[in-house]
Amino acid sequence: MADHNDPNAVNSIFSDIDVSAADLYDIFGFPSSNTDGGEKVVIALTFASMPSTGVFDTDMLYRILVSSDPRVVGLSNDEHHLKGLLRYFDAIKEKFLGPFKASEIRVTVDQSQRATVKFIDFPGASFSTVIDTNKVTTIDTPDGHAIKAYIGGRDDAFFNDLTGFFRSINYAPQFYRVPHTMAGSRELKIPKTLIELEGNHLFNFDPNDPEWGYGNNKRELPPGPHTWNGDKFFKDANGNFRFVYSGRDCQAGININAIILEIPLAFITDAPDHNRIVNTWGESWVLKAADKIETIPDHPFWLENPIALIGQSKIDDELKKYKLVDTDGQPFADAALSEREDNRQLGANNFWLAPHFIKRLAHLGWGFGPSITALGLQTSFDHDNSPVSVHKTYSLVTAAFPRVKKTLFQHLNMPDDSWNPKGLNIPLRRPVEVFVPNVCAIDMDTTGTWPYGRRPEDQVATRFLSLFLDMEAELNGKKYHIELLNDPALWNSVPIEPKTAPNPMKNDKEFLKDFPYLADPWG
Amino acid sequence: MIAKRTDFENELERIRQGLAELNGSALNLPVDSAKISRFAYLQYQCASLTGNLEALGDADSTIDYAIRHLGPSGDLYFLKANIHFKLHRLNDVEQDLQLGRDLLLSTPGRALQADLDFQKGRYDAARQEYEALITEDRTWDSLARLAYFNFKMGDIEKADRLYDEAVDELTAKQMRHYSWLELQRGVLDLSRGDYEQARSHYERADRAYSGHWLVQEHMAELAGAEEKFDEAERLYCNVVDQVPRPDFQQALGELYLTMEKPAQATEWLDKARKGFLESAERGEVHYYHHLADFYADVEENGPEAVKWAGKDLELRRNFSTLSALAWALYRAGQFPEALDLMNEALASGAKDARLFRTAGMIYTAASPNGKGAWYLEKAAELNPNLKNFHVHR
Repeated sequence: MADHNDPNAVNSIFSDIDVSAADLYDIFGFPSSNTDGGEKVVIALTFASMPSTGVFDTDMLYRILVSSDPRVVGLSNDEHHLKGLLRYFDAIKEKFLGPFKASEIRVTVDQSQRATVKFIDFPGASFSTVIDTNKVTTIDTPDGHAIKAYIGGRDDAFFNDLTGFFRSINYAPQFYRVPHTMAGSRELKIPKTLIELEGNHLFNFDPNDPEWGYGNNKRELPPGPHTWNGDKFFKDANGNFRFVYSGRDCQAGININAIILEIPLAFITDAPDHNRIVNTWGESWVLKAADKIETIPDHPFWLENPIALIGQSKIDDELKKYKLVDTDGQPFADAALSEREDNRQLGANNFWLAPHFIKRLAHLGWGFGPSITALGLQTSFDHDNSPVSVHKTYSLVTAAFPRVKKTLFQHLNMPDDSWNPKGLNIPLRRPVEVFVPNVCAIDMDTTGTWPYGRRPEDQVATRFLSLFLDMEAELNGKKYHIELLNDPALWNSVPIEPKTAPNPMKNDKEFLKDFPYLADPWG
Repeated sequence: MIAKRTDFENELERIRQGLAELNGSALNLPVDSAKISRFAYLQYQCASLTGNLEALGDADSTIDYAIRHLGPSGDLYFLKANIHFKLHRLNDVEQDLQLGRDLLLSTPGRALQADLDFQKGRYDAARQEYEALITEDRTWDSLARLAYFNFKMGDIEKADRLYDEAVDELTAKQMRHYSWLELQRGVLDLSRGDYEQARSHYERADRAYSGHWLVQEHMAELAGAEEKFDEAERLYCNVVDQVPRPDFQQALGELYLTMEKPAQATEWLDKARKGFLESAERGEVHYYHHLADFYADVEENGPEAVKWAGKDLELRRNFSTLSALAWALYRAGQFPEALDLMNEALASGAKDARLFRTAGMIYTAASPNGKGAWYLEKAAELNPNLKNFHVHR
């Protein structure tokens, strides 16, 4: 119509990006309790149930990457300096990006809702099969193993007070209708905190509107400035702090779609006694537009060869037709540490983010550290005894590092020994080892509870906060541990309202004892 | 047997459904910014998709109402600026970008500002901003913008490469955008007379997003250029039936002229002229360049062409409007004035077969220094099929 260019970009910002099948939610990974015929590992990748529960988007391709390794001792105590840390990142980078690349399981679903599952670069073979969705299926591998698979709808296994978390980081889109053109007004420049700041009217709980921030209950974003000028935490008439968390389960009643597999360890590695760590992460890819018009649905090759051996060239050609959208390895690696920027969706390859990770952790520490101190607990973050949370960002990793040194390197104490049922000499993990690379590292000699993997029943949102506790400190004669903030007794003893653990103690539906473990979807 | 619905029909139905759902509540007080923005956006999208420029006014009214209640939301002003851009109200675009809260700090606002710079002939500013946007975030639309810039500046290879990259950014969830990009690539090929490649792109555009009149309109031009007149006639008739706009009526009329069917040509050209003039009488400015073209090339009425080209130049002083006025002056026999303006157009650095052909004609008439022949030769090099049927985009 006109002699000017008009790339319709307006559509890109206004078409309110709906929940997408590319939006990965969680990856769970733990050793199976079923050891008949040998050890097995359970891996479950969950994502948005689009177009609906149990129905899959045929433009999507999901990858679960798997790499097995021996358990190694991480950073030694004399490497607890920035140089040592960067050396550590370099070493693991070489491991993950070097010649020994990960094996993968690749899943696509066709128009008839049958799933093509490809097992690529496993020691035994690469092969492919087609299975029904929403049904537990046993896949027999060419080298004689049996893999259980379930690709279908389930209840969302994540249970947490997402609104509380967003309140803690002053994330405006959870509470306000933030214009698309105000990308800088999402995480507002207000100190992050676990307890409310006096006068933080932009985010503090409103007793007259208790549902504000839950569901889709949002307000108009008021004109700026969107800042806070106070100097203390809020206290009520009884001298109690106000918790930003409520313990509510924001995911209650929500379904997801999932790819759940129970894989013999001997299929993943030809040295199962040696390679005790199974690293896994998930990726979502969406078909490129140019390839959609070339796609021939229900390609006869796959229909006629339910179990077909596939060659590397075929695989690479397939992936070239897709575009990486999301990755998932560690819970909160995106939301808390990478700010969910699209260009940081790197999965295990998040090494270049390591400096950012340190700076971001320091930024969070200035928020959470003082609030932990105010509650009478000890923090791993060095905040110079600040009486209140501070909004501070870093441009230099060298400035941030001393603040977070302890947070990064401290051992994450476990509440008891149940995580290590064989009583082996397994070192306690440290945050730095947990988040870089962004993988779920399942220790096959443990129960696989976080951070030795991730079990569905783990309250990982609360465990994540425990990173900021000083694990050398003691409470009632016991060292702090990753479940401390999940202990109702703690909250009964500190001056805070409401007296609740930050996040719900358990899922809204009981998990299953057997495969596929995640609960049936809501009807 | 029931015919399969096209992608265009499906999308239009979804938009209309969305409008129907919001129609009762979007304007209710207190105004919900998300709801009313979506409502205005759907009105805008419906008007854009159907090619109904008058209907853009509905979206504009909704936005004004929303701004009265919500203040200068960046989203609302961005949408408003896009409407004004489509209607060539460029001074209004400039104002919208200033008024929208934080709009000029946002990526979409900056991209639109760069588009405005391009239209106003501020080419360096436009290029620099496009490049900066791409450095920050390699989005398909920024790549397409820079591709178009290079296309117009004559770097066809770079334009092609950038379009390639833009295409690679699009997913199966963005098939209309993909189709649009394929059309742009076809236009680029058409501009250098490569009909086979142009057809290949247009066919991909159609496969990617079926049933869109915009694809048919491009196909119609191509068929006309290839002298497949029956196909061109059929396609243009479909288009003017769906989108009865004067610019398409003019194209059909000109096709009939090429086909030496003067009666049909007159019928459609009369309609087109009437449509253009009625629009101008309503105070609209977006058909000024069509009026200039219509009087210069269809009626060969120099003074009228000068009048409308002059008005268009007042809105935006770029190589295209300068060239249009130069051509109108040529038609009016004012060769020295035409030459001055053409020199200004050429100084922009633009390299385009039609621009060079116009330059060649004007130089030949105004100056016996041989430059006319040089430009005509260059024009023929850039597009060996320049004399074939074409429309003005």
